[in-house]
Amino acid sequence: MKRALRWNMALAGVLFMLVALIVLPFWFVLTGSIKEPSEIIARTPTMIPQSFSLQHYVKLLSASDYPLYMMNSMIVATASTVITLLLAIPAGYAFFRMAFAGRETLYRAILLAYAFPSIVILIPLFGIFAKLGLIDTRLALVLVNVAFALPFAIWMLRSFFAGIPIEIEEAARLDGGAPLTVLRRIMIPLVAPGIAAVAVFTFVTSWTEYVFASVMILSDAKRPMPVGFSGIIGQYQIDWGLLLAGASLSILPVVILFAFVGRWFVAGLTEGAVK
Amino acid sequence: MKLPRHILPFAFIGPAIVFLAAMLLWPLAQAVLLSLQSVRSVGTTGEWVGLANYIDVLTDTDFWDSAWLSLIWVVANAVLQTLLALVAALALNQSFPGVRIARTWIVLAWIVPTVVVVMIWRWLFSTSGGIVNPLLLQSGLTDRAIGFFATPNMAFATLVFINSWRWFPFITLMMLAGLTRIPRDLYEAASIDGAGPWKRFTRITWPLLAPTLGVLLVIGTLLSFNVFDIIWLLTAGGPADATRTLPVLIYETAFKSYRMSEAAAVAVLATVFLMGFALLATRWLARPPEAR
Repeated sequence: MKRALRWNMALAGVLFMLVALIVLPFWFVLTGSIKEPSEIIARTPTMIPQSFSLQHYVKLLSASDYPLYMMNSMIVATASTVITLLLAIPAGYAFFRMAFAGRETLYRAILLAYAFPSIVILIPLFGIFAKLGLIDTRLALVLVNVAFALPFAIWMLRSFFAGIPIEIEEAARLDGGAPLTVLRRIMIPLVAPGIAAVAVFTFVTSWTEYVFASVMILSDAKRPMPVGFSGIIGQYQIDWGLLLAGASLSILPVVILFAFVGRWFVAGLTEGAVK
Repeated sequence: MKLPRHILPFAFIGPAIVFLAAMLLWPLAQAVLLSLQSVRSVGTTGEWVGLANYIDVLTDTDFWDSAWLSLIWVVANAVLQTLLALVAALALNQSFPGVRIARTWIVLAWIVPTVVVVMIWRWLFSTSGGIVNPLLLQSGLTDRAIGFFATPNMAFATLVFINSWRWFPFITLMMLAGLTRIPRDLYEAASIDGAGPWKRFTRITWPLLAPTLGVLLVIGTLLSFNVFDIIWLLTAGGPADATRTLPVLIYETAFKSYRMSEAAAVAVLATVFLMGFALLATRWLARPPEAR
């Protein structure tokens, strides 16, 4: 009995530490964004805001291009997600449901691509994109995001495809279904959670990508949020209220997405990871 | 249209493979070619110089300093991330009210853009205002504000903390998978035999989790090596080059000193090293689970 109590207290302690580590920073950011400037820089930080003001949000949305940056990020992340799914689903189907020569080698090559040091291709890719006229286009960012998300996306689909009984597929094929029809009508509905997982992964990585966007995008009007926001950070004299408001808003879209399909992402990550 | 059976799989994987080859392999080949020339900035042409860039790089102490920093960076992050993730995963593997919500939302730190992560921690760790320093001063743990980015060692340690903070939730989820695959009856049987929590951990959890931990250490190593944006945005490699890991050195050489070819040489060396590591690791990962 005594041991159980001690065990529970240890668990409570760890959980408390986790909450402090993960939730507390966001709590301070979120509450900070609605405090009056004088309270933000107060010597004693307040857990519960003592003042309330939306001035930082008003300033952010009216005096900067922030809404434009958000729009650009939305477009780039959505397009990247759709294209990644279009490439990853058929590839996953072939890798994990079909036998063919060179399958293992190709799959291993894909895993290697996942370990690719991305900075290495930044220099040559800039040159290639410059020749193709892709510099300063949102398409360039979509291509880059898809390239970095695709290997992991295929990997994540593995357990979802592997979990489907072979009989279902055979029955569909005996009924005369063409491979593409079998994939579309039978497999895709069955791996829907995996597709949701991949979609979340791709959207988040595209939403957060900074390095390539900072090099490939030149005009302010095409900047995605991370690059635009870092511009705002450097542009004004440090105005913490404004930055806290920007930080809070930047988190919002991914949090909303996560609220709906987050558990599938968690399932996808945990299922695919160790199998 | 009907494709022969042996062509069909390639029709399905073809687009993905071609895309990855064009976006990753082709630029990599270009990087190799670039490293054998003397190009200074993008768009200009250079002469073929053979291995001169490699000789320059390998005889430059900057390269070796960065390589050494990268090694420490990777080890420190892999260890800290995996430890944090292990503790978190063990806790989230218990049953308590709200555990499902906790399992989903632990990744909050990972879904936030790095630019925002950087901004948040710069504010929290700020020496004027901020949150951490006032709290430390108030509690009397220190009588002077701590400059978390001021000295080389401090800046390096702070960066390791922030980077691990961002990535450990991701690792936690993958570790949870390993934990949930350990049969519950093992724990029940051990409890009946009178084994306490610690004994259950050392005799059941640890041995059965070890393979997963190995996999995650490899993944953590690859993820950490490639980290560039957090470092660049927080310290830009400073103070006194204390945080200039290889990706930062590559970026600096290419886009600050305009020595593209030399940067490409460093990049190729880094790739060879990392790919060698990844090849060994995936060979191990690709083995069937029983053999691990």
